[in-house]
Amino acid sequence: MAPSKARRKRSLREVTTIIATGPIANSQPASSTLTKEEEQQEEQCPKEPKIPPLPPIMVNLVPQQGLGCEAVEGLLVPSLNREYKPCGKYIVGNHPIYAIGFNFMDVGYYDVFAAASGNSVTIYRCLENGSFGLLQAYVDEDKDESFYTLSWTKDKVDGGSPLLVAAGNNRIIRVINCATEKLAKSLVGHGGSIHEIKTHASKPSLIISASKDESVRLWNVHTGICVLIFAGVGGHRHDVLSVDFHPTEIGLFASCGMDNTVKIWSMKEFWVYVEKSYSWTDHPSKFPTRHIQFPVLSVAVHSDFVDCTRWLGDFILSKSVENEILLWEPKPDKNRPGEGSIDILQKYPVPQSTLWFMKFSCDFHFNQLAVGNSKGEIYVWEVQSCPPVLIDRLSNQECKSPIRQTAVSVDGSTILGAGDDGTIWRWDEVSPSSSKTEATQAAVAADAKA
Amino acid sequence: MASLSKASDSSSQRSKRSDQGMMGRDAAAASAVPIHGNLTQLIRQIKSGRLAYIKEKLEANRKTLQRHSCALFDVAAAAEVASRGTDGGNALSQRAAEGQSRLAGSDLANGIEERDVVYMQEENLAAGTLVLSSSGAAAQRTVVRFVKLPLVERIPPYTTWIFLDKNQRMADDQSVVGRRRIYYDPVGNEALICSDSDEEIPEPEEEKHFFTEGEDQLIWRATQEHGLNREVVNVLCQFIDATPSEIEERSEVLFEKNEKHSASSDKIESQLSLDKTMDAVLDSFDNLFCRRCLVFDCRLHGCSQNLVFPCEKQPYSLEPDENKKPCGHQCYLRWREGFQEMHDDGLGGCATYTMESGTASHKVDVNIMSESEDSNREKGNIRSMTLVGTSRSKIISSVSAEESTTPPSADTSETENVSSDLPPSSLRKHKISKHGPRYRERSPGKRQKVFTSDISFASNILNKLSIPEIRDTRQESRESGGDKLQIVDESTKKTSSKDICGESPTTTTDNVGRESNKVSSTNNLLEHTLSCWSALERDLYLKGIEIFGKNSCLIARNLLSGLKTCMEVANYMYNNGAAMAKRPLLNKSISGDFAETEQDYMEQDMVSRTRIYRRRGRNRKLKYTWKSAGHPTVRKRIGDGKQWYTQYNPCVCQQMCGKDCPCVENGTCCEKYCGCSKSCKNKFRGCHCAKSQCRSRQCPCFAANRECDPDVCRNCWVSCGDGSLGEPPARGDGYQCGNMKLLLKQQQRILLGRSDVAGWGAFIKNPVHKNDYLGEYTGELISHKEADKRGKIYDRANSSFLFDLNDQYVLDAYRKGDKLKFANHSSNPNCYAKVMLVAGDHRVGIYAKEHIEASEELFYDYRYGPDQAPAWARRPKGSKKDEASVSHHRAHKVAR
Repeated sequence: MAPSKARRKRSLREVTTIIATGPIANSQPASSTLTKEEEQQEEQCPKEPKIPPLPPIMVNLVPQQGLGCEAVEGLLVPSLNREYKPCGKYIVGNHPIYAIGFNFMDVGYYDVFAAASGNSVTIYRCLENGSFGLLQAYVDEDKDESFYTLSWTKDKVDGGSPLLVAAGNNRIIRVINCATEKLAKSLVGHGGSIHEIKTHASKPSLIISASKDESVRLWNVHTGICVLIFAGVGGHRHDVLSVDFHPTEIGLFASCGMDNTVKIWSMKEFWVYVEKSYSWTDHPSKFPTRHIQFPVLSVAVHSDFVDCTRWLGDFILSKSVENEILLWEPKPDKNRPGEGSIDILQKYPVPQSTLWFMKFSCDFHFNQLAVGNSKGEIYVWEVQSCPPVLIDRLSNQECKSPIRQTAVSVDGSTILGAGDDGTIWRWDEVSPSSSKTEATQAAVAADAKA
Repeated sequence: MASLSKASDSSSQRSKRSDQGMMGRDAAAASAVPIHGNLTQLIRQIKSGRLAYIKEKLEANRKTLQRHSCALFDVAAAAEVASRGTDGGNALSQRAAEGQSRLAGSDLANGIEERDVVYMQEENLAAGTLVLSSSGAAAQRTVVRFVKLPLVERIPPYTTWIFLDKNQRMADDQSVVGRRRIYYDPVGNEALICSDSDEEIPEPEEEKHFFTEGEDQLIWRATQEHGLNREVVNVLCQFIDATPSEIEERSEVLFEKNEKHSASSDKIESQLSLDKTMDAVLDSFDNLFCRRCLVFDCRLHGCSQNLVFPCEKQPYSLEPDENKKPCGHQCYLRWREGFQEMHDDGLGGCATYTMESGTASHKVDVNIMSESEDSNREKGNIRSMTLVGTSRSKIISSVSAEESTTPPSADTSETENVSSDLPPSSLRKHKISKHGPRYRERSPGKRQKVFTSDISFASNILNKLSIPEIRDTRQESRESGGDKLQIVDESTKKTSSKDICGESPTTTTDNVGRESNKVSSTNNLLEHTLSCWSALERDLYLKGIEIFGKNSCLIARNLLSGLKTCMEVANYMYNNGAAMAKRPLLNKSISGDFAETEQDYMEQDMVSRTRIYRRRGRNRKLKYTWKSAGHPTVRKRIGDGKQWYTQYNPCVCQQMCGKDCPCVENGTCCEKYCGCSKSCKNKFRGCHCAKSQCRSRQCPCFAANRECDPDVCRNCWVSCGDGSLGEPPARGDGYQCGNMKLLLKQQQRILLGRSDVAGWGAFIKNPVHKNDYLGEYTGELISHKEADKRGKIYDRANSSFLFDLNDQYVLDAYRKGDKLKFANHSSNPNCYAKVMLVAGDHRVGIYAKEHIEASEELFYDYRYGPDQAPAWARRPKGSKKDEASVSHHRAHKVAR
């Protein structure tokens, strides 16, 4: 259990893929004939095959392949719709930075971002001249703590003080009130290190956390209650690496993890508990936390660890270590829970991204997506255009270590990349005023070409 | 691509294959060129359609998303406005403002033209501050004080687990076999992948191709335009990743689909529930209902269990008619009364038929199943349907095939046997029909789809039906392969009236027979009522016969209420007596080697069932390295200490269990779930202990590590309440058997807490005495093979929840279990674990070894095998073995 710096590293040779799930249910020919050897073996131990195993509880959906199901793949040719220039690097320390994120909760803090490295979380400001301002720094008294994730939230829906939620190796979620510079709450309950935390956009009190303990938990930061636990029979079978709330549909979220699956969960039936959690006055541990064992859908679009997933409207962006990000549409069957189909719409190639725990991020309006790779480059994609357009490939001579996480500012004019070597790289847009018109022109041109 | 997965291998194989197809095609290409060009165009069309579809989708999505993000922006803007008012109290904005002012100064000095500025952040631990400095000319320093996040006590690590109050078998998808996990060795840096050995990596398999909508469209259009010939198929092969035969098959499917689509408009579907047969209705019951746990979808015994029909039945009491009161105004007794009055009027003459008059009876056996069989599949082989049909239907059909005594000739495929086998006397008929119920016992409603409507015609003086007429009906039903059901209905209708007439003479001695004779001769409504017995009603009726005997009152009231009146049931019963005659014959013919047939069927059944669930299991090349030699089959009843308990599976023996009985072979006792009779020698008889004796080894149950069973043991009753609700009288002193705690779930409250020893621990809430039952160790039931796999994983994490249960299963409480899984190991424990056989299932109970005070932590000896024990579980005196070898063994807990 010893934490280490290279904890998340996988060597390239290990990136082999095993399809953990079988083909679609009835793809197997019905008449399976046993070979002689098998028969003999079965004779040798007659007890084993006597009782058929129970049928699978949750069937993982796989995408259909073939004519008429092709995904549109983006070309790796930078369109340079927007141009970025490097604005310098910021050496935070020796620890790798696993998490970095802008505060989208409050217009007043749109230029404020936080970065987590080792046992400290630091809050900075992106100054207009391309430099950084240091605002606050928090350090865990436990030296062994290593923060893996952070998320911004706030006290109340309208206004209130900004809160920063961070968690990592120590299995404790720290809720920091940045207005008072004090620790607001520590949420204890996860049995394994926490890989990602996300805040509900319209209900900032609600956060979800993905953990090594194979569960996703919904917390109410306001009261410090663990409201729901998403794990169990139909849940993840290995570490959960990433979660994301559906932007519009309340109570829907996606999670993905090391069991190669993406699961979509719903808490609609348990919304009563969510509401109850706001007004709970008793001790948080006495709250009747409920387990949700069955996701709406369980999807196997990737054949390796899925380390990042984000909703793009009703579609899902997900990334494995297969050098590409997929955009796909989940189509759950309304009448039969757990069943449905999926349709892969687009592919965004990201070369040299075979390490796992490399996350991507989007700007506030989901126009562009930035993802780092193991060579220290950042690929900026126009996510919503069809076919996808690569805006630019940001690379720097000095930046060679993997970019674990990126942060894109509200309008996409600033892109930050946090590296394994403990540095933050900043890229700024060259001419923000003219870029938009250019982008649209280029899009039109691309359409015409297609 | 750095890695080529197995999956992509297979896909590349596919493309290779299509490449070959391409080359082969080139040779004989010339003629196919127009088709080829046509298809390419089609494909282009489909592809552009797809692109347009995606574009449209994304555009729609973008709009909704934009609306949403704008709304969110408004919220964020409102937040800013709100927080601006309280600016003074907000440390973050304060600091931001400070930074801004400082920047303003530096900005003027440096401008923004400088690139690649390096900022350094230094920790000043002594002062507890963080210093930001930038390189180059723009030297600036910001100092920020560290805010410390105070220590919070961490909870010990664990994996989220689900509470189970009852063991569950592992589901197919929960297996770790063939999956890969990643680990970190204790030293830290290297991540190792714990992959299974090579033979277990699933091999790519020739998968059946799935046709997408686009491909369907292509095939359809191509075959429409060019017809279905080899050329077209070959060309299609280049575009579609499938074999020619698959494509041909698919095009036929598509053709049919289209036909159906166009035809569906004028086709009226009659989906009356009564059209279903009993078997279809009972199918889900038989497959999903667990007869041991009395729940649907039992996760312990699974679905599609072997159906075990006990050979002993509760005898039904048949009251003599004389003592019975009519069950209602539609009761047959009333009719009889009325008839007797009529009879007294002197109409008795017609009831004087002799037995001999009913000799020439023809039996028409219309076997729909086999008919539909041969209309669909290869003809002439009745046996073939035994593969398709499930369960009992096989026996019946095969038997009926045997009975027809005609080796499949050109015409026997019709299986429409007109065998003139005639019961010589009604006496015999009666004798036979006595056997009827017994036969039913074995096949309650299992005659799935074998819609054998046996219509016996007793030709006699009154019967106007001539032989040619029979032939006519037969001909008709033979010719029309389409709507058999209707035909049969018709034929039943046609014959039923005659049936009534024909039947009556054979039952002259019977009152009701006479009555029906009367009725038929007067042409009343009976003809109508008898004609519309649906399949389901018939099956229900047969069930009723099985349950209640020939008691039309009870059958009508309990099974056919609202469908048929007692009167109708009674009529059907007596008119059907002749029809039943055939089945007892079958019964006789197979009674000799019934056991064999049964066995045979069971095996077949198992194969067909396992096949369903094997579909995923198959592609793992399982190498049975399972150490069957390591676990010698135990011949003793239940293991004592070092030996394995043997998993019990109910046997399906009828009557007595012989040497072939699986229970006997496995060395388990027969239990109440077995098919064999109570007097079976292999059956565990339970105990006869007087009160509170079941807690010592004097009780045979206790001695055999079994819990007492209220169904089996004589004095171990379960009663609820104080007896006021009408249960059997409770024993005076409120006695309860002390050996049924697991069964009754009489467990102690267990608390989960931080252990004094390591990690989590289990604690008891209230004080308990020695040998008290504390609770059950529940978990997933997994096979030993699976346990070896999981054990490897768990050993690396150094926390294992495996528990050897018996020769077949290991309990794994890793993801599913209860709080007792957290009880720690101790070589000087206060508890012990014991495997008990409770109602045929092995379960692990944890018992107190000594008196335990309230809120004490619970320990028991895991009893690891000598070479399996991890370092911490070894006794200090034990010699230190080499650790490397030890860690590779899976550590199991073992009950004593």
